[in-house]
This record gives sequence, structure tokens and C-alpha cells, in this order.
Amino acid sequence: MRTHGMSRRHLLQATVGAASVLAAPHIARAAAAPLVIYDSLDFVGKAAKAFSAKTGIATNVVEQGGTGGVLGKIAAEGDKPQYDMVWLEGSAVMERMAQAGIFGAHADLAARAAYTKVGRSLVPASAMFLPVTASTTGITVNSKKLTPAQYPKSWSDLANPDYAGAIAAKDPNLSGPAFQWLAGFFQAMGEEKGKALLLQVLTNKALSGLPSGGTVNKALLTGNAKLAITQDSATFGKIAAGEPLVSLYPTEGVVATPSSIGISARTTQADSCHQFVSFVLSPEGQAAMLDGDDSDFFFAPIIEGVKAKPGRTTDINFLVLDNAAAAKNETAWKSWYRENFVP
Amino acid sequence: MTIGGAATSLGVVSLFVVLVFLPLALVMGQAVVPDLMDGHWPHLSLAGLEHSLGNARSITAISHTVVLSAIGAVSATVLGALYALMLARSNVPFRAVLRATPWLIFLTPGYLKALAWVLLMSPGGYLAQFGLLPEGWDTAFFSLNGLIFVHTLNLFPMACFVIGAAMSGLGSEFEDAARTVGGSARQAWVKINLPLLAPAVVLAFLSIFAEIASDFGLAATIARTSNFGLLTYSIATAIENFPVDFQLAGSQALVLLAMLCSVLLLDKALRRQRRVRLITGRSRRPRIYDLGLWRWPVAGFGLLVSLLSVWLPMAAIIARSGARTLGQGLAASNMTWRYLDQALTLGQPANQALLRSLWFAGLTAITCGVLALLLAWRLDQGGKALRQIVLAMAVGAMAIPGVVMGLGYILLWDRVPGFADTGIYGTWKLLVLGYVSHGLPYALVVVLPAVGQISPNLIDAARLHGAGATTRMFRIIVPLIALSLVTAVLLVFARSVFELPISQLLQPTAGAPAPSVIVRLFGNDNDGLGSALSLLAILATGGLAGLLWLAARAAGRAVWGNGFDSLGGMPRSG
Repeated sequence: MRTHGMSRRHLLQATVGAASVLAAPHIARAAAAPLVIYDSLDFVGKAAKAFSAKTGIATNVVEQGGTGGVLGKIAAEGDKPQYDMVWLEGSAVMERMAQAGIFGAHADLAARAAYTKVGRSLVPASAMFLPVTASTTGITVNSKKLTPAQYPKSWSDLANPDYAGAIAAKDPNLSGPAFQWLAGFFQAMGEEKGKALLLQVLTNKALSGLPSGGTVNKALLTGNAKLAITQDSATFGKIAAGEPLVSLYPTEGVVATPSSIGISARTTQADSCHQFVSFVLSPEGQAAMLDGDDSDFFFAPIIEGVKAKPGRTTDINFLVLDNAAAAKNETAWKSWYRENFVP
Repeated sequence: MTIGGAATSLGVVSLFVVLVFLPLALVMGQAVVPDLMDGHWPHLSLAGLEHSLGNARSITAISHTVVLSAIGAVSATVLGALYALMLARSNVPFRAVLRATPWLIFLTPGYLKALAWVLLMSPGGYLAQFGLLPEGWDTAFFSLNGLIFVHTLNLFPMACFVIGAAMSGLGSEFEDAARTVGGSARQAWVKINLPLLAPAVVLAFLSIFAEIASDFGLAATIARTSNFGLLTYSIATAIENFPVDFQLAGSQALVLLAMLCSVLLLDKALRRQRRVRLITGRSRRPRIYDLGLWRWPVAGFGLLVSLLSVWLPMAAIIARSGARTLGQGLAASNMTWRYLDQALTLGQPANQALLRSLWFAGLTAITCGVLALLLAWRLDQGGKALRQIVLAMAVGAMAIPGVVMGLGYILLWDRVPGFADTGIYGTWKLLVLGYVSHGLPYALVVVLPAVGQISPNLIDAARLHGAGATTRMFRIIVPLIALSLVTAVLLVFARSVFELPISQLLQPTAGAPAPSVIVRLFGNDNDGLGSALSLLAILATGGLAGLLWLAARAAGRAVWGNGFDSLGGMPRSG
């Protein structure tokens, strides 16, 4: 009986062993499934590559042309998300997704990061998304079309008749940074006053609701625009390439536009996601994100000890957006902008 | 109908239901069933539809889309018909350049041409830099005029191919018969040829109308800069948001589909003549008209069309791919090889994206060619109702913006049980399936008229001689419509290499195809690399298409001898 019992145990062990062997490829495959990151930023590919090289954890970067494209894909996937992380610019759009329960909270990661003062101020109380870089939206001038004496100094200056019909802007309905600017503009100016000023300033619909930073810069460089309300990282990228542009920061203040990562509440690879976020918040990860010439590489660092690319202004007095107010008013403000400034 | 016939019909309809109907229904259905995907018990509501369509913006976008699509379709169809006539029936010189032009146009997607024309026609653009932009032309261009101009130049090849294929099948025997009984050439054309060509003309018009109505490339560039709101742009803004405004997107997509259905129904009501079988295997070579001295102005017109539709936009893209900055213009100091080098270097993301796209497009083109051939043959043999249903769905699919189709594919393959369980969402397989859904209607539009012109007598004769179905297909049907089939495959290949919205929405997690990368580069203001990648994609697509074309021609000549006509691809018996 004893022998028989042993045989049974051996049989059981053998069965479990065989099952383990059979299951092993599946377990291994599940463990090795690449981290999927949805984003619309130039530097994410570089950061992901450096992370994979360091950790051996594979990553798949699904990069869209703009924030809108990522948002549409996330919305369409609904309760069957295919991403582990989302990395976008604009805290307002991230807040809205956080409120929809898309991201999990990761206060521990935020606490461990070596944020600068500005960086720390951009971490939301919920810790559902973590800022990684910053930029802002200011005024960009084509120096071949305006002399320095003609440059505006404030948002209010844009109402100057000299600029009538010659101001380009991105459509906040399609761009996270553009909505961040609109929400920050209303926060700085007051909603009613801000709306009244924009109605005075953005008088040419052919320029006031452009779909991307690329179209805004084309309007500024070869089109009818003399100046543009646009993201400063894009401007510094163009200046570095030799374009005749100047970046200006209005005296009323400019709102910080962080690029932030949110970890999906439904991810099955939380540990790997944590490793990824820790990496991009480290000087090593930030170095990978500075290794390029496209617009997004010209960010303002918010991690201690990290220097921006040469030529990029960093001494900016950033306003921090009230994400909750921006998220609450997002639909109404976007709709108002579309009705007034988009053909 | 036999059981086999019924099963085949069911298969044909099922294919279109999965490829086209279900994805569209999931998006458009939300116009009237707002909680369709929410997991609740769905309820019908017209409130969203009323709200979405009742405002002034929507009405303006709808009216703009109708006006642009109608005028653009007329102008492109007329230009395409004239161009086909010039190539098929005249002794115009410079034939090689003129014949290559429609193909070269298809190698450049609309959104790239739109960008090229923005670079050319902007107040500080390339033409202005060379002093070639007369005062006020930029303002005139960035309006409805410019949109019609670019759409016409971009889409006339579609009419040229469809009408040209019908002309080649027409031969000249009807014309000769008319002349033997005293009719003039003009009378033969007005009373015989044009009515016989009318179905092809209408098909071309409908296809182009659908193409313009569903275009996003020009809607997001020239139309935006012209303050000319269009439906597709409005749909895109509704979709590219969180949460997606499904009611607005669905309502406006419904409007687009309704437009097309109206045109189809109108066509059906107006045109009730019998179908005419033109390919008998005995048709004579078409009569070539000697234009005399008029051949030079006609060639000049053809070359001008070629210059404006191919060479000028291509020059702008080449210039931008070699220019370091936009603002410094075309000065020698501003020139660089950097972008082309990046796009050419193996392992660079841009190069990887290009190779991926060529592979995906090749797979799509072969799949669409085979499916279109089988479908066309089945539809030709099947009942009128089946033909109408499939044709309506095919043209409808062409009218639906890729962004709506792509969204529908996400909803179907990621969220609907059964489809989601296949696990193909997020992989290249779904991307290729999306390309097939978008490419198949185009392949069908090219192949169906060709199959429809084959005389049943030819097939009956083969059957009586003991030829089986496979033999009939490969020894008779395929050789008879060889050119149309190759045209369809090349057309789908070129379209798929540059298909944008589906590439973006169904981008495989393992790596992006070229269109997503190109548009991202343009959107993120990296036009130089975007142009370089576009240029290489055009050259690679052109090279591969040229090789396929030469192989098809060589095969045609091997089978039929030198009588294989390179325009019509028709075997000649004498």
C-alpha cells in the first residue's frame, strides 16, 4: 500500500510537473508580454528603448499623432483597455481620465521621485498620474514678420489691431496642451474676461482652430500668421533647427503643461509599470528623453539635477492648473471654443 | 437558386457584414442608441441625433460637403474621361509620360498632396519664394476653388481607369457599324458610345463623390486653412476626444451614408437600360483618331495636368525633404541629406515603418485582388438584388471616413464577445483586415465592370468543351480582365501603403506603419523627415508597382503575343 501510495504521490507530482512544463510557456509568455504604452510624445520611444535595454522588460509604444488620437482610442477601448500605461501632455485631460477610473493611484512612486519644487507642485493629490516633464504655452513670434518693438508682452496685448487676423492657435478639442492653455488662460484671466479677450483676439477662423502644432508653425513660417499661441517646446525645437522664431511668456503668467504617466487600473503588470515610471523619473531615464531633436525633447526638466537641452528657457514662473476645475469645465470650454473659433 | 448558389450568396453577404456593416453599425447605431456599448439594456433615442444635426455648424458642414463632393466629382469625372479618351483613342505624343501620370498620382496620397500644395501656395511658400505666385492667387487657392482644384487633380485617375477600361472593352465595332450606315463619328459617339459608357461614367462619378465626401486629408489641411468646415473634420473632432462623442460622430457618419444612398437611388431611377456585354473576344482594336496639328495642344493639356498633379507636388515634397528648415526657404545653405539618410537607414524607426507598410499593403492587395475577382464573378452570375446590395455596401464603405471605420473596428474586435476572443485586436492581422475592408470596394469597382463585360457565350463555349470552373476562371476570365485585375491590385497596394486613419486607429502594438509615422512627423512639425519618408514610400511603392506591371505585361504577351494591348490589356484575335 505504501508503495502504491508513493506511486500515487509520484504520479501526482509527475502530473503537476508535466502540467507545469506544459503551462510554463504560457506563464513565460504572460510574464514576458511587453508593456504597452499609449502616447503622443516624441521622446517616449527613446525612453522605452533605454528602459528595455536596462531591465530586459520589453515595451511596445503605440504613438499617435496627437492627444486627441490617443484619447479616442482609449475611449473606444472602454472597459477592455489594451494599454498598461498612458503618457500624455496636459494634466486636465489626465485628470478627466483619472476621474473616470482609468488609472490606479501610486503615491509611493510620487514620494520616491526626486522632483523639483515645480515638479512636486504638479503631482495631483490623487497620485493617479505622475508628471515627468514640463513645458508651457506662450506666444511665438516670427521675427521676420515683426520687429522686437512690435512683440506683445501680455495676453491682453494680443488685442492690438496690428495683429488682427494674424494670430494662429491650436484647437483645444484636438490637443491636450492646447486645452491646458485654454484652462490655464481662464484660470489666470478669469473665465468671462478670458472669453471676451479671445473673442477680440482670435478673429480669423482660418488660423484660430488649427489641428496640430505643425500646422500652426506652417501658418507662422509661410502662411498669414504673424504670431501664434503655441507650446514653447515646439518653438525651441524649431529655433534650434534654425527657424526665425521667438518664444515669449505673457506677463499674466503661463500655465505648466506637464507630460504625465498614468498606470492603467486594469494592468496585469503593475510591477513592471512601477519600474518603468521609476526609470523615466530618474536622471538616466531623463537623459534618454533628451536624446533627440524633435519638439518634445525640448522640455523643461522637473527632476533634480537634470538640465534642459541648450537654448531652452527654464526660468519660467509656471502657474499650476486647477485640474479639477479644468476637468469639470472641459466639455463646456471645448465646445465654446469650437463654436467660436473652429470652422 | 441552388443550395450552392444560396450558400455562396450568404458567404458574400457575410463577408461584407463582418468587414463593413457591423463596424459601421456599432458607430452609427450610437446616434440613435446612445448606450449601445455601455452594457445596459439599449434604448432608442432621437434626442442626440436632433441635437447633433440641428445646429448651424452641422448644417454648414453638411452643405459644404455636398457642394464640394458634387462639384469635385463632376470635374474629376470630366477630366478623367477626357484623359482616358486622349490616351485610348488619339495619336497624342508623349504617351509614356501621359500614360504614367494617373498611376503616379495614385502613388501620392491626398493628404501628402494637400501638404505639398500648402507648401507651394502659402503666401511665403515655395512658389512665392521663386516669384511664381501672382498677387491674390494664395487667397483664391485657400477657398473652395483650391479644394476642387486639388481633389480634381487627385481623383481624375479613378475616372480615367474606370472609363478607360470600359472604352477598351468597347472596341470600335459599334462605331464602325454606325459609320457603315452613314453615321458620322460624332453621331456614333453621342448615340452609341456614350450611352454604352454611361454606367462606367456614373460609377466613376459615384466613387469620386464618395472619395471626396470621406476625405480627411484635405479637410484637415486646405479646408481648415480656408475656413471651410467639412463633415469628416467634424467627425474626427468628435472621435478624437475623451469620452468620444459617439452621437455626433454616428449622426454625421449617417448623413454621409445617406448622401451616398441618395445618389445611388437617383442613379437607379434615372438609368434603367439593359446591361450590355462588350467583351466578346472578337472586338477590334479601337479606332485611333488622327488629331493632326491639334495633337500638340492636346499633349500640352495632358502635360499640364501631369505637371500640376504629379511633378509640382512631388517637387515640393522633395524640396521639403532636403530643407533643414521651412522659414529659410530653398537657399543652398539650408539643404541637408539628414532626413533622407534617416529614412533610408535600416533599423531607424522611419525605415522600419516603411518596410512594415510595404509588407502589409502587399498582403492587402493580393487578398483584395483575389476577393474582388471571386466576388465580381459571383455577383455577375448572381441575382440583381445581391449585386445591388453588395455594390451599395461597397460604395457606402468608400464614403465612410476611415476614422469611423477604424473606430468601428476597435469596438467590434476589442469589445464585442466572440470577435474580441479572437485576440487579433492590437495585432497586424486586424490592421490588414481594416485595409482589406477599405481596399476591397475599390478593387471591386475596378474589377466588377470588367467581369460584367465578358460575354456569357465565351464561358458557355468553354463549359461545353468540358472546361471546369477552375479552368474557366484561370484560362478565360483572368486573362480577359488581366489589366483590370492588375489595376485593382496596384490601386489597393498604393492606397494601403498610405491609408491613414485605419493605420492610426488600428496601429499594431508591435510597431507603427508608415502613414501613422508620416502624419505624426508632420503634426509634430518634423516635416523634413516626414517628407523624406513619404518620398521613399512613393518611390518604393512605384518601384514595386512598376515591377508588377512589367511582369503582368510580360505574362500577357507570353500568352497572347504582341496583340496584348498595354492600355486595355485585352487579347486581340484579329
